[in-house]
Amino acid sequence: MIANVHLQAIAILPNIRYNVCEKTVRTSGLFSIMIESFFNTILYIFLFFSLYLEVFFMITFFEERENMKAGKPAQKKLSYYPSTTIIVPCWNEEKTVSGTVESLLAINYPKNKLNVIIIDDGSTDNTWHVIQKFKNNPQISLIKKENGGKHTAVNLGIQESTSEIIGCLDADSFVEKNALLEIAEAFNEDQDMMAATPMLIVHEPKTILQKMQKTEYHAGAFLKRILSPLDAIYVTPGPFSIFRRTVFEKIGLYKHAHNTEDMEFALRMQTHHMRIRNIHTAHVHTTTPDTLYKLYRQRLRWAYGIMKNTLDYRFILFRREYGILGMIALPLSFFGVFVFLYNFGFILFHTIRSSFSKIIEISIKGTSALVPNFDSFYINTDFIVLLAYVLFGIGLVIIWNGVKLAEGRFSPSMSILYFIVLYGFIAPLWFTRAVFNVALSKGTKWR
Amino acid sequence: MRKTIDSKKYILALAITVAVFVGALIISNKFSAQRIAEIKAIESNISMDILSSETQFALLKESSCKAVDHSSAFSEELNELAQKLSYMEDSLGAKNSEVISLKKYYSLLQVKDYLLVKQVQEKCGVKPITIIYFYSNTGDCEECVREGYVLTRLRQEFPELRIYAFDYNLDLSVVNTMKSIYGVRDTLPALNIWEENYYGFKSAEEIEIIIPQLKKLRAAREKAEAEAKETATSTKK
Repeated sequence: MIANVHLQAIAILPNIRYNVCEKTVRTSGLFSIMIESFFNTILYIFLFFSLYLEVFFMITFFEERENMKAGKPAQKKLSYYPSTTIIVPCWNEEKTVSGTVESLLAINYPKNKLNVIIIDDGSTDNTWHVIQKFKNNPQISLIKKENGGKHTAVNLGIQESTSEIIGCLDADSFVEKNALLEIAEAFNEDQDMMAATPMLIVHEPKTILQKMQKTEYHAGAFLKRILSPLDAIYVTPGPFSIFRRTVFEKIGLYKHAHNTEDMEFALRMQTHHMRIRNIHTAHVHTTTPDTLYKLYRQRLRWAYGIMKNTLDYRFILFRREYGILGMIALPLSFFGVFVFLYNFGFILFHTIRSSFSKIIEISIKGTSALVPNFDSFYINTDFIVLLAYVLFGIGLVIIWNGVKLAEGRFSPSMSILYFIVLYGFIAPLWFTRAVFNVALSKGTKWR
Repeated sequence: MRKTIDSKKYILALAITVAVFVGALIISNKFSAQRIAEIKAIESNISMDILSSETQFALLKESSCKAVDHSSAFSEELNELAQKLSYMEDSLGAKNSEVISLKKYYSLLQVKDYLLVKQVQEKCGVKPITIIYFYSNTGDCEECVREGYVLTRLRQEFPELRIYAFDYNLDLSVVNTMKSIYGVRDTLPALNIWEENYYGFKSAEEIEIIIPQLKKLRAAREKAEAEAKETATSTKK
């Protein structure tokens, strides 16, 4: 999100310019100048902190660079294969559940060490019927229960499991063959690591919105990878986050938490100082919303959940005891929403104002007002604009490295353009509503 | 064991951030200084050109009006200067001392040009087409914005039209003298055309009614363009 805040700032660049003869200038008096200065000052403060965070993350990136080599590793053998259970909770997933389970069965991992529990959480479609084709597979167990929400299905699976490591895979996600191998290796190497999150990649993006999300996921993957060595991961997402069994024994099962149980669980782990790592070589492909409405519903749930869970765990905020999670990552996830909305409002205000001025100009001067001035004298080099260039540049570096992390090398795509152009305009939809809902304690729905 | 906070890293990030902020500020100021210097150079050029024209006029007197044809001289330069000065005013703020200083000099150049045009054209028996425009940019003149667009449009269409724009609130004796000579009140925008004052917003059409020569100029230009087109067509044949 940090990157997006700055990408937006670029839109401020085309400021209102005018001819001396025109004497456009400010349309308000001293009072409005003071108000404008006040809002500008807030923007400068936000920009300073945003830049500080970006610089902080970039320093971490340079420290971690050697450990962040991407690319799919060759077939490897582990000295030890921990027994694993993957729970696939499903609710009306008749179309995707087969693919999800088949991707699990195809992974490079000893079959006698991998169990899959498919839990039909009271589906009303043909999900139960569809999963019957796996009933004779010795690796797979099928369970049907009354609908109680995803976390209840996962909890049931955890209780049924006896494996050393336990994970969950949403029925709309698909794992790459080496994903579990990479995670198991990380568990072998780091005995203090209690949970592992994979790199999430958008599965077969088709619509513009899905392509936009592809780049968003890339940038997000990079930032999560940066947060990993800082012990600052605060979400263990549904698709293929894997836990040591002892985690559940020590801190309990999932509990209802504003429809973002994966965040609550990660925060609970963090309060017990349990290490969560991001394994960027474990690739998991997830289906993303293809329409604006579906995306809005999903992101509203996430944004609301982040804010509510942060409030529930507010004792973590600004406490050195919780390291960078408490000092930077969690405050950023909470206050970042407000910074994002402020910047958006600032840009929107200036865009409307300059558009209004331009319309008046065009109505009087005609189309000649649309001809841009190419004199280098008019290249905007205001302080705030130069800062926006820097922030935008770092944002691009984040995207660049996110793509490299996911695909092995950077290749330009329309997804990046869609992300830069669209995200700043549509994200305020759910952020605004989330703030509104939090203020009124109005919950969100899963679907 | 949780990763401990490395104070050095926090401080390094802070130092880099501050450096970027200060760097952006320095670079921005450097560009502003360059622009100011560019504006000063343009003002200096115009000043030199006006002086040159004045001297030329003094030497030749009315013996050769063609030799001192000043009808469209500096129009482009003054327009460019106006645009750039406006940009700086917007960028650095109307209260910036450099901007005020440049505006004062610009106003002086306008008055000098105005006087020269008046002298040359009157002595050569031509009635000058000039508009003296008073505006305010302190937020008390909404219509000044629109009037500015109208005058810019007219200036673009008629290079022969000389428009002199003065900030009504500029603390400059010459501007005050202009105000008192023409008896301009503080009802802005105010236009002085042929020594008559017009207050409030005036559209391009209204100004064309006040200055009928503009229509004649347009008609003459259109006729010349049509002839040129005809000639070009016949040459092709």
